[in-house]
Formats: sequence, structure tokens, C-alpha cells
Amino acid sequence: MLALQYLRSLPRYALVRATGGRADVATGDFSLLHLGDVPEPEPPNGSWRRVLPSLAGICGSDTAAITGHASLYLDPLTSYPFVPGHEVVGVLAGDGARVVVEPALGCEVRGLSPRCARCVEGRPGLCQRVDEGDLAVGLQTGYCCSTGGGWGEVLIAHESQLHEVPPALSDEAAVLIEPLACSVHAALRGGAGAEDVVVVQGAGTIGLLTLAAIKLFTSPRRLIAVAKHPFQRQQALRLGADQVIRPDEVFQRIRFATEARRLDGPNLSLLLGGADLTFECTGSAAGLDDAFRYTRAGGRVVAVGMPGRERVDWGPIWQRELTVMGAYAYGTEATGRRTFDVALAAAPELGLEQLTGPLFQLSEYRDAIAYAVQAGRRSTAKVAFDLRGLRL
Amino acid sequence: MSRPGAVLEVDRNSPPTLFHFGEGVRLERLPLGSRILYPPDPLEPIAHPERAIRRALAHPLDDDPLKELLRPGMKLTIAFDDLSLPLPPMAQPDVRQLVMEEVVELAAEAGVEDIHLIVATGLHRRMTEDEIRHIVGDRIFTTFWPDCLYNHDAEDDDENVRIGTTPDGHEVTLNRRAAESDLVVYVNLTLVPMDGGHKSMATGLATYRGIRAHHNVDTLLGSRSYMHPPDSQLHHSCIQQGRLIEDHVRVFHIETSVNNHAFPTVANFMQKRETDWTPADQATYLALKRLSDLAPRDLKRTVFHSMKAPYGLTGVNAGQVDQVHDRTLEAVRKQMTVEVDGQTDIVTMGLPYLGPYNVNSILNPVLVVCLGLGYLFNLYRGTPVVREGGVVIMTHPCRYEFDSVHHPSYIDFYDEVLADTTDPAQIERKYERRFAEDDWYRQLFRKSHAYHGVHPFYAWYWAAHALAHAGDVIVVGGEREVVHRLGFKAATTLADAFEMAEQTVGRYPSVSHLRTPPLLLADVR
Amino acid sequence: MSLLDDVRQVRRGWHWGEVKPRSWPERAPAVPDRSSNLGWARSEPVRSARWLLQKGVSLPFTRVMANPDVRGAEWMESLERPAIIAANHSSHADLQLLLYALPDRARERTVVAAAADYWYQRPWLGRLVSLWLNTFPFSRTGGPQAVLHHSSQLLKSGWHLLIFPEGSRSPDGRLQEFKPGVGFLARETGAPVVPIHVRGGQRIMPKGRAYPLPAPAQVRIGRPLQAKEKESARAFAGRVESSVRELAAGSSGPEVVGSWIERWRAAELRSGATARGRS
Repeated sequence: MLALQYLRSLPRYALVRATGGRADVATGDFSLLHLGDVPEPEPPNGSWRRVLPSLAGICGSDTAAITGHASLYLDPLTSYPFVPGHEVVGVLAGDGARVVVEPALGCEVRGLSPRCARCVEGRPGLCQRVDEGDLAVGLQTGYCCSTGGGWGEVLIAHESQLHEVPPALSDEAAVLIEPLACSVHAALRGGAGAEDVVVVQGAGTIGLLTLAAIKLFTSPRRLIAVAKHPFQRQQALRLGADQVIRPDEVFQRIRFATEARRLDGPNLSLLLGGADLTFECTGSAAGLDDAFRYTRAGGRVVAVGMPGRERVDWGPIWQRELTVMGAYAYGTEATGRRTFDVALAAAPELGLEQLTGPLFQLSEYRDAIAYAVQAGRRSTAKVAFDLRGLRL
Repeated sequence: MSRPGAVLEVDRNSPPTLFHFGEGVRLERLPLGSRILYPPDPLEPIAHPERAIRRALAHPLDDDPLKELLRPGMKLTIAFDDLSLPLPPMAQPDVRQLVMEEVVELAAEAGVEDIHLIVATGLHRRMTEDEIRHIVGDRIFTTFWPDCLYNHDAEDDDENVRIGTTPDGHEVTLNRRAAESDLVVYVNLTLVPMDGGHKSMATGLATYRGIRAHHNVDTLLGSRSYMHPPDSQLHHSCIQQGRLIEDHVRVFHIETSVNNHAFPTVANFMQKRETDWTPADQATYLALKRLSDLAPRDLKRTVFHSMKAPYGLTGVNAGQVDQVHDRTLEAVRKQMTVEVDGQTDIVTMGLPYLGPYNVNSILNPVLVVCLGLGYLFNLYRGTPVVREGGVVIMTHPCRYEFDSVHHPSYIDFYDEVLADTTDPAQIERKYERRFAEDDWYRQLFRKSHAYHGVHPFYAWYWAAHALAHAGDVIVVGGEREVVHRLGFKAATTLADAFEMAEQTVGRYPSVSHLRTPPLLLADVR
Repeated sequence: MSLLDDVRQVRRGWHWGEVKPRSWPERAPAVPDRSSNLGWARSEPVRSARWLLQKGVSLPFTRVMANPDVRGAEWMESLERPAIIAANHSSHADLQLLLYALPDRARERTVVAAAADYWYQRPWLGRLVSLWLNTFPFSRTGGPQAVLHHSSQLLKSGWHLLIFPEGSRSPDGRLQEFKPGVGFLARETGAPVVPIHVRGGQRIMPKGRAYPLPAPAQVRIGRPLQAKEKESARAFAGRVESSVRELAAGSSGPEVVGSWIERWRAAELRSGATARGRS
């Protein structure tokens, strides 16, 4: 089958790193990415189905891996060579039903029994036995060599990973169900109170969807989005931000919104007082540094965007007694519903199609990656591969 | 003998007209038949200022000579205007320095031990050490700074007292030291007819609670204009407060007026009518134009703000406030008045780099509005120069630039308030309290050099009358986004602006240009 | 718009090389004429240019030529108000030596009274010395009132005023009688007077020679003096003179530098000012 494959090669990794992750090098002939004919993944047993992807999104974590910015922490949790793509909407081989794939590869998917403690809690994303069972090591579909991924013609998925897409939801919207589920999980984990001033730093796909999820499932006093590009600002307002501000004015505007005090340091400002709860959706050092300085003492910072190895100033975390929490993936929420089901139920009213586009063929992957790296500047949120053409 | 103010008509042979453009200048051609309003030439200054001051103190109006009011053991407070007057700041020695040196001299002769000198900043920013030194001169500064020479602090609850309520029910507050003094000597410099009189004490040494009685949209809409006190509710309200203060504490007013010699020798061409420009003036214009086109902003700002005006003293009066102020206003009007026949459809004005609230700082967009629609628009007596529903055209680069030390609350005012609405009444209702009580602004106002949190509101209210009166406001050369935020229209050239204005006032509009600064007062008949 | 466009606009607007239009009103000297005080010489960028000239040229040159021995510069540092600097005068080199002797801060704020009838006869020479040495025209013959007014204005606006009370260069290097003008000025403004004695200027450039020759020089700066109550201008000028004579004789009092003494001096100056204020 035709697929994009991610290779594990130290010299190539070094080359990509050395050029600072330039998109042309990171997708060039000596990159970690390779388009070619690869063997189809084999279903380990009868509980597995073949899925033909229709659309597969390019996630920030994908571009980070391709440009060499991803955390090396993830390396032992990944098996190579893998086909990337974990934001997938596709059809089942055979009956043609439209499904989205919940990528987490927990105990149930791996056929392990008894299940580990985290999986029993309903958090397959945090599974403690991702190196066992029917599959090679891997956290998610799209980071495991046994399952295939969205950026190929075929992938295999366990029955428990499949969620049927209601007919009202287009492929363009459904491809965002996976990130929406992440965002819903983050919003619920953050749990903004009615008196809280909440800031969402960053307005890429995750930032915007987190914003939407916060608006849908919690009711903070004021919801502030930090967005850089005009498209992002406009979408943030549409998805329910009370106020949209630019990254260079965060201290000034958040100070005003929270009636805090501001002190100016030699490099960055800080607020005495500030936001009660911050969702950091950029995963960048600059975003994290800001967030730690404008979140009030004793406040919480939820890291939603995937950070790599960043040089972050820990001073404010220590002095402000901040609670920094991660929010990764999905599973079953406190309400007992699976995050994907919550996301699927919420999706139709969000108009997610507006965030998707443009679509690229698999063969145009170089342009696609270059485009995805600068999605915000180019007035889009989610760049995706369109694989529907391969089935004809 | 200096020429009186004049109204000249633009004809085919007229030279182009000078427009101030922030930290820069432009020459523009006004349509044929437009009239240009020129202020009178600078009056001949008093030759011996010290002597005139001594004479004024020895023969006050309606009061005893200052010498007789001073006695050993008394508490004497000298309050004086801050550096927001005059504009640009006066080259040393400042008139206030000359006056205060005489007063201190008299006090020393009389054996007064307890003297405090207070900068009457009101809700303006604290003056820096250097700025105070500039106003009072070295001699007073080294003698009194910092224990007995300091800024008024309107947010220090312990150091201000409430002294009563006016018949209209407005609170009157006063600096505690002034309120408890046996004699307050107020040293004022009146640049425009709005300043001075009862307003000096009622705003300069008051707190927010006192000042809001007259600094509000209602009062300012009823002040047409506040450059002509008899028609100004602002002044009626100040007078009520002032009377109450005079009942409470003995005040000896010394008011000075200066001529309009606002530009130093290097910038002589700004002072002159275009038809008077010599080849040297034309060359200076070209040089300055080049500099302002090419130089980086900071450099331009430094150059422009380093200009100090060679003002000459034209009048000094001392004694009881009402008589003193009448005399002062007379001198000021003599220097400023231009008689104008009727209104026009359009008024144009070039906005300079400096307004009352950005000495040594940046004229931010809110202050641009305050300067153009607040101050220059209101420089009239009778009716405005522009007819109701007419168009005001201003030239200013209007950039998103703020001084974060002097104007922190202005930034939030621009970003939070103006983004919501530009209607003064609505702004006052929805936001004023929030800004006035913000803890951080209060902190910066007291400890740093920031204007009071509520000050940007006053800057905006000052324009309320113009906003209600004008049919349209067009800013030439302004940054589009900023101009739109202010609620105006942006034009690239003056010609475009006239084109746009015609949509509001019709074809072939009549045009007046305020050739100012130097400041003028249009007496419209 | 380019410079050419600007020039064209001005050329057309003001009808260069053509007859001035009839419709223009009579020209008038709108701006009061105050050319005589040379205000430009005390404003930027002339000040910066002078700083460069002095730091780059004249001070190093003075050092090479005379290597002056300066004593008592801390009296200048101790001043908290603009003062009158009174020095003896025997040579054109004196001024250079004096400027060399002043601390940087004081030098930048010092104007020099130069004989109007000598230096300001030719306008370009006048402008040159104003640029280089920050001089202003000081009439030797005019009545005290006219001179006083302008000089006191300068003192009040924060400038030290350097004058040579002898009025002209001494022909033989011996001190001549001080004119009372310095006393008038001090009494009028209440400014302290710093006496300075310069020795050796005459050997560098005596009266009558047009070029300098190297020779050692000494500059002695003395304790600032304050006019006493009811002391006449003439008497005070005499006191300044004798203080300069004392410096010439070498007994300039204790030349100790120490923090408490500095404080003491500062305090005395301030109380002096108040005492004068009370008089």
C-alpha cells in the first residue's frame, strides 16, 4: 500500500535538527519521512478491522516529530518505522461504515487481561503496559509500527477504537473529533469555576477547540483567548471567547481583566494576581513562560499543547505555588461517558468544517507539511491529507 | 508693535500652508478661498519681570500687600502649576521661578519658618525631580527639596481633607497641608483662558472625589466653550468649589500670563505666517521636514521635546482671585484673540507633537483626540469655527504608541474601552469607576510617574462637545486601524480628506484653517 | 515625498527668483528680535558639538601645552547653585586653563563673559568663540543695569557665570583692581562667588603674542564666598579680590577632602543661601 513512513535514523535526525527543522529539509530526500509502498498491517485477531482512511489530519505532534522538535521522551514509547496519522476519519473495509478512530492503544486493544490500573480507570491513554500484547510498543495508532496510520491507504483498528460518525457530520468536521476529544478532556480536567478568569494561550487547532470545550462544558466568569493571527482571532470569537488578545499584550490585557498589578522585569513582566486557570495550548517555551507569569499565585496551568524539551523559567512555578497539570488524550470522563462520544455529540454545533483545509494528496506531502507548520499565518487551523482518491 | 490676529484668504499666489504633523511638519495647499486664522504676533514682553513681580506683590488687587500677610510663626504654603503649562515648557528661568523667588524672599524677610512648596498636580502625574527643578530653579530646589518641596498626592487619604459641599451638592476636597495653612500662595501661569482662577485650587490641590464634580460629560457638554469661562459650566462649578475653599483657607493668588512666543529661534518658521518666511525660514523648514521624514521616532521625539519656548512675561497680577483672574484673562485674550466672521463647513488643523499631558512623553491616540477635538476645537468664543454637522480635519500620524510609564491607564482605555464604544456618556457610565478605583493605577500614580487611572476619561470627555458638534472627523496621515478605533475616518492626503468631507457637507464647502500653535482664540461673530 | 519634491514645493510656493505677489501682506518681524543673547550657543546641538570640540581638541591641547596643576576643584563640586566664577586675567590662555580646571559637570554649565567690544566686533569671530567657549557678550562700558539683567537671567536659568572682574588682561601678570560689577551681580542674584587664581597663563601667551608656547601653569580654586548683609557691592568685590590674592600667595586654607567636610560645606552654602534670603 502507499503510505508515508517515519523512519528512525540518527544521521537524518541530526541533519533535520541541525537546520533548525526547516520544512524543506524536514521533508526532503534526507528527511525522516519517506513516501513509498509499504506492507499492509496484519490484523492480529478477529477483533481487529481494516479501516480505509478518508481524511487524516496533520497534528502539531506530527510536525514536531518530523521537524525534530518532539520530546525524546516519546522515543521509547514509539516503534519504528511507523505510518503517522492519528486524526483519522475513514470507512470500514467491507461494510463501508464511516468511523473515527480513537487512537489510544491500551490494555483492551492489546488484548491484555487483566487490564492495568489506568485502563481500569478508563484512561487507556495512560496505559502502563504499552510495551506488551498483540502490538509493538506505541502509545497511539500513528506511533506504532503494527497498526499503520492515517497517512497510508489502510490501517487496522481494534473494535473498541471505532466510533461511528453520524451522517450529519462531514468528513472535514469528523477529522477534528480526535483533537476535540483531547480538548474536551483538557477542559474537564481544568474544571473552571464560575468565578474564574480563564485564559487559553494559543489558538491553533487545540487552542480553538479547547476554547470551544471550555465554553461548552464549564462556565468561567471570563474566557480570554490569546491569538496571533487574524483568522485565529476571528475563530476564537466565534467559538465563544469573551475577549481575544495578542501574545504581545497578554500582561497588559490580563492585568486589566483580573484587576491585578503588573511589574516589569528585565525580560518579561509578571502579574501580582492574574488568571485563575490557564490552558497552555502552544507547547512553546514562550507560551509557557508567559502563562506561568500571568496565572495568579496558587492558580493552575494546564499543559494541553504538546511541549518538547523547552527552556522554561521555573522561578514563577516555585514562587507562585502553581499547579501545573498535563492533559493528554482521552478515555472515559467522570460522567462515565467516553470522551469521544462527548466530542461526537458536541461536534455538530461547532461548525468544525471552518477549521479544516486545505486538503492535500499524499503525494503532495512536502507542501502539506510546510503548510501545516504555518497553518495560523495561512488562515487555517487543520491541514489534512485527503485519501479518498486512492480508493477509486 | 505686534500685529493683531488675522484671517487671510488663500488665493492663487498664496504660499502653501504649514500643518503640524506630530513630530513633523507638512506644507499643504488649501482650496482657493479657504481662510487661515493666524494668532496675533507675540506681544512685547515686560522688560523687567522681577520689578513687575515685586510691584504686583506690593500692590495687590483687592488685598493687602503680601508682606503684611506674612508673620513669624505662620504656616505658609506655596502651590504652583505643574509642567503641563505652558506648552512647550518655558526656557529657564520659568516665570513661576521668578515669582516664587520673590515670595520666598519676602517670607524669609518676615521670618516665616514653616514653608511648604507643593506642585499642584491634581490628577496629573508626579513631576520628576528634574522637572520640578526646571520650574522652581536651582536656588529654591536646593533649599527646599525634598522635605518641603513635593508633589500633591491626590490618592493619599491622610493628606487630603474634605472641606465641605457646594450648593450644588458637590464634594470639595483639598490638600491637607494647604487646608491647614494660615496662608496659601498660589502661583499660576495662564496660557489659555481655561486655566487659572478658581480652577487652580479646585483641581490642582483636590482629589478625584472633588474633581469629578466638574470633570464629567454633562458639565463639559454644557461648556461652550471652556475657553470662555462665562459660557462654561466647568468654570461655574469650579468657582463654586473655589469660593468654598476661599472661605476655608486664606489664599493669595498670583497669576502670570505670557506671550505666544512658543518656538525657539531654530523653529522660527513655526512662529511666523507663511508670507513672512525668509529664505532662512524656508531652509529650516526643508531641513526639519527631511529630519522628520528620515529620522527614527525616538530621535525625532528627543529633538522636538528638547525645544523650550522663549516665552516673555506679559502680565503678573496678585491678590484676590476674581479680580486677578479678570486681569489675567484680559492679557491672555489680547494675545490670542482673532476675530472671525461666521462659521465654515470644514475646519482643518495640524496637530503638533505636544499636548498638555505628554510633556517629555508620547502623544498617544487618546491624547491626539484630546488635543485636536478637546483643546484646539474649543479655542473659540461664541460659536465654534466649524458649523454644527461640519467636518473637522486633523493631520497627525496617529500611531499605536503609548508611554507605559506616564500613561498606563491610557493603554487599557484604548484597548478595552474604545474597542467597546467611543460615546463619552456611555464610557463614563460603564467604565469610569472601574478605572478610578483600580489598585494598580493608584499605585503607579502615587509611586511612579503615571497619570491617574481616570485621566484618559477626562481626555476623552474633553472632546465630548466636539464629538457631538461635528458631523465627521477625518484624520490625515493617521494609521488606519487606530483612526478607526477612535471612531474617525482615515485619509492619506489632505485632498482625499476634502473629497471625503464633501460627502458630509456638500460640494464646494467653506474651509477654515487654524494655524496653531501658537495658540489662538477665535472670536466668532 | 523626496527632498526634490519638497524643494520644488517651497520654490513654487515662495516664488523664488520672481517678484513677490502683490496680494501678500506687508512683512513684519513677527518674532521679537533677541539675537544679542546668543541663545543658540547654549542649546542643543551646539552644546554637544562644543563638548566634542573641548574634549577632543582644546582640553588635550591645554594638557600638552601647560599640564596645569589644579587644586581645589572640589569647591566647584560642592556648589549646589549656579555661581559666579571670578578669576584674574593675564592672557588669552587663562580661559583655556580655567575650563581645564573645572570639573566636567561645571564646565558644561558655564558661560563666559567676553568683552563685547573686543570679541563681538566681527560677527563671525563672535559666533566662533561662542561655539567654542560658550561666551556671551558682556559690555565693559555699558551701565551695570543692562549687563546685570542679562547676566542674572543666565544665573537664574542654571548657568555658572565666568567673569574676569579685572576687566582686561593685566599687562604684567600682577593682579589689577577688581571692578565692582561682580559685587553688584552677586548681591542682585544671591549667587555665591568662587575665586580662582591662574598662574602661568602669561608665560604661555602674553599680551601681544599671537601664538602659545608651552609653559607650566597652576590653577587654584578657592572657597566660595557669599555677600554679607549690608555689604556694599564695592566692598564685596574687594573681598573677592583679596581672596584671589590669597590664592595667589598660596594660602587657600585647608585643602582637605573628606566626606564630612563636604557635607559641612554643602550645609554652609545652603544656610548661606537662606541667610541671604532673610537679609
